[in-house]
Amino acid sequence: MKPRLPAALLAGLCLVLLLVAALVAPEHLPDKAPDLKWAGPADVPPFGADDGGRSLLHYATQGARVVAVPSIVAGMVVAAFATLGGVLRAMGVGWFDRVLQAGGEVVGALPRMVVILVVALVTPDEWRGLLPLAVTWALLSAPGAMDEAAAVAERLGGARFVEALRAHGYSASRVYLYHIVALNLRPVVVRQAAEVMMQVVFLEIGLSYIAEEENQTDFTHPANLKSWANLLKLGYASLVVDVPSGHALGLGLGLIGVVAVMGLALGRAVRSR
Amino acid sequence: MKQWWLRPAVRIGAALLLPVVVPATITIMLWALPGDPVSIICPEELCTGGGALAAKWNLDQGPLHFYVQWLRAAAGGDFGATWRWQAGTPIAGLMAESTPTTLALLGFALISVAIGTVVGASQRLPAKVLAVAQVAGLVPGIVLALVGAAWVELTYGAASFVGPAVWARLLTGAAVIGLADGALSGAIGGTDGLFRAESRQRYVGIAILRGERVLGNTLPNVTPALAGQLRARTLHLLSGAVVVEAVVGIDGLGDLLLRGALYQDFGLVLASATAFALFSSVLLLGQALVEVATAVLVRRSPAGVMEGA
Repeated sequence: MKPRLPAALLAGLCLVLLLVAALVAPEHLPDKAPDLKWAGPADVPPFGADDGGRSLLHYATQGARVVAVPSIVAGMVVAAFATLGGVLRAMGVGWFDRVLQAGGEVVGALPRMVVILVVALVTPDEWRGLLPLAVTWALLSAPGAMDEAAAVAERLGGARFVEALRAHGYSASRVYLYHIVALNLRPVVVRQAAEVMMQVVFLEIGLSYIAEEENQTDFTHPANLKSWANLLKLGYASLVVDVPSGHALGLGLGLIGVVAVMGLALGRAVRSR
Repeated sequence: MKQWWLRPAVRIGAALLLPVVVPATITIMLWALPGDPVSIICPEELCTGGGALAAKWNLDQGPLHFYVQWLRAAAGGDFGATWRWQAGTPIAGLMAESTPTTLALLGFALISVAIGTVVGASQRLPAKVLAVAQVAGLVPGIVLALVGAAWVELTYGAASFVGPAVWARLLTGAAVIGLADGALSGAIGGTDGLFRAESRQRYVGIAILRGERVLGNTLPNVTPALAGQLRARTLHLLSGAVVVEAVVGIDGLGDLLLRGALYQDFGLVLASATAFALFSSVLLLGQALVEVATAVLVRRSPAGVMEGA
């Protein structure tokens, strides 16, 4: 077995879990069952129940539904920008460095969360959701990713590398798509995408938690869906008051762990040899 | 770069523009939203007298009039009043209370970054320890903030916002943003990488052969990049402070911004986002100053590079 295969399998498994959970998520939580209030995993398998006796499995799947598509889209946006950054450097486009530096300065001048909150505020109600925020986060991350990918292309030799391969008779598409993107930019591009996916999930949890705490309309999902932040909120009570909701906290942290493992494993799976 | 002044000049320009452009952008977006801005403060179905309110808040003569009036008042220290959250409260008072808190939070959190930078610059941290720090840096800020908030709540009580509890919240928040989301590990790894790459330069090898110290030779040349990293890390800490302040219960500027966004209070968001823009401007100016100082004191003097620091 190749050393990178287990990491690839682990990342794939986590991603499939996330997508399947998102697909099977119900539109609404079921009716309350007061008899099962705070029931443990043994009574309401597999994760136990909330204060209304409803299975925490629904929280897990609905939370996956909230984050799955936006985080993947954000990852793809960053991957596309990083690839573009690497390819333009390999093509030896002269103005690219200046544009990249200026873009990085403008985009990176403000704290990201400030930009995200302003975007959340000015997003019309009908567009509200995690997707616009995720795309904004991806755009804010893009200059850094492009810069790193461009540095990789620079280390390869930039335009001279392309020229050398072309002199060996390779077609332009093979040089750019296979030698540059697939063989050399891949580790950076995929790692950056995985990091942004992870950050978008954590961003959603942070914003949802605070909205829940303030009893305000959530920026990231409609009211009929529960976020993984709701699990943390339920479980937090077990830390500070005598509420038996530790299983909710465990599940929330476990789901965060799955996302972190997915990000790490994805980065490891595509490491260069 | 031949035109060494170009980068600092761009940064100074950006620093000057940022506090003007940020409120302008928010104002444009406010008018671009569907409906009338007045209806945000005073929805027709809930209140009457929208016209009077519009005149009072300069919303009745279009975005340019509103922006110019707001900017003029802000330059004099008057940021208006909150629109929806604690409606009618003067924002200048809220900001006067919250800005020192956020600055203190940032100052304490920067200790972690400073330690990381020194450790990274020393290049003596074993790779395994760095790997552990990187894995620990994966823990999201919200999780550490919850742990910190629980500790404060258990130790001082949920409603404790005076005396030692304030300090406990502040220091806990600083520890959280200084450690979470890769703040410490990024500082160690970033600085280590920077010095490692510079140490491979040919002039460093020559300097070693001449019996000179590596750090003394590399430091002047990496200083601008180090200043850039420090600015990026400070922005990262400020970004993390927004969520951490709200969760741990610190009455800071980030908490104000978050409340403004949650309650759709454009007045509050306008003022607090501008305050963040001012912070960012100061950071940009700081980086530009470092670049200018390096160019003038070091790069123009070969002796400075070889024997400096």
